[in-house]
Amino acid sequence: MARTGQFSAELKVFERHRDEWVRSHPGQYVAIQGDVVEGFFETYAEAFKAGLSAFGVRRGFLVKQVWTTEPVYLVS
Amino acid sequence: MLSVQLHWDPFDQLDPGPCINVVVTNSQDVIRAGRSIGLEYPEPRPMRALLDTGASVTVISKKFADHSRLFQTNEGSEITAIGATHRCGEHAGAISFPGTSLRALDPIRILSADFPGERHYAILIGRDILRNWLIVFDGRSKCVTITE
Repeated sequence: MARTGQFSAELKVFERHRDEWVRSHPGQYVAIQGDVVEGFFETYAEAFKAGLSAFGVRRGFLVKQVWTTEPVYLVS
Repeated sequence: MLSVQLHWDPFDQLDPGPCINVVVTNSQDVIRAGRSIGLEYPEPRPMRALLDTGASVTVISKKFADHSRLFQTNEGSEITAIGATHRCGEHAGAISFPGTSLRALDPIRILSADFPGERHYAILIGRDILRNWLIVFDGRSKCVTITE
């Protein structure tokens, strides 16, 4: 289900490490649940599968690409 | 190579554009893991999807993302459409193309956003999916051919 605020803890972890991760893992995808960082992956699918394997489905987990600024997707 | 042909009438201004039938569900891995702990998921429901070369990513109507209980993996992403910016969710889902030979995609990231007033389709198939196919838009024949 689409909910807002679901990932506030994970997004705080992401923001806390963003500068460091942009240098070490630019463009890669990270999977996070709470303050547990599962790892960095080349593709969304890989990060999702790793997150699912580590965290399961009972509680959500964040999959996010590491960028300096957030991309804005175009739909025209 | 197998091809899929879709009807599309670019001479009809009310034609929404080339659409294809799709089924969007959670990833099979999510469904297996969820069912093993007693979670339930709705039956797959076919819906119409627009082939949208102007969309950089695939976007589903929030209403259908909620109905399908798509597993969410991010929130607050932004898309711009006709100058306006919309906040959207991100989900890990699976997309299949019933009645065709096109390969299902599982898992794939799908964004969700409000589709106000849209009656013709519930999904925009963006370039993240279109890039996998050879697509011929033949306006004179009113036909789109997809070859994988």
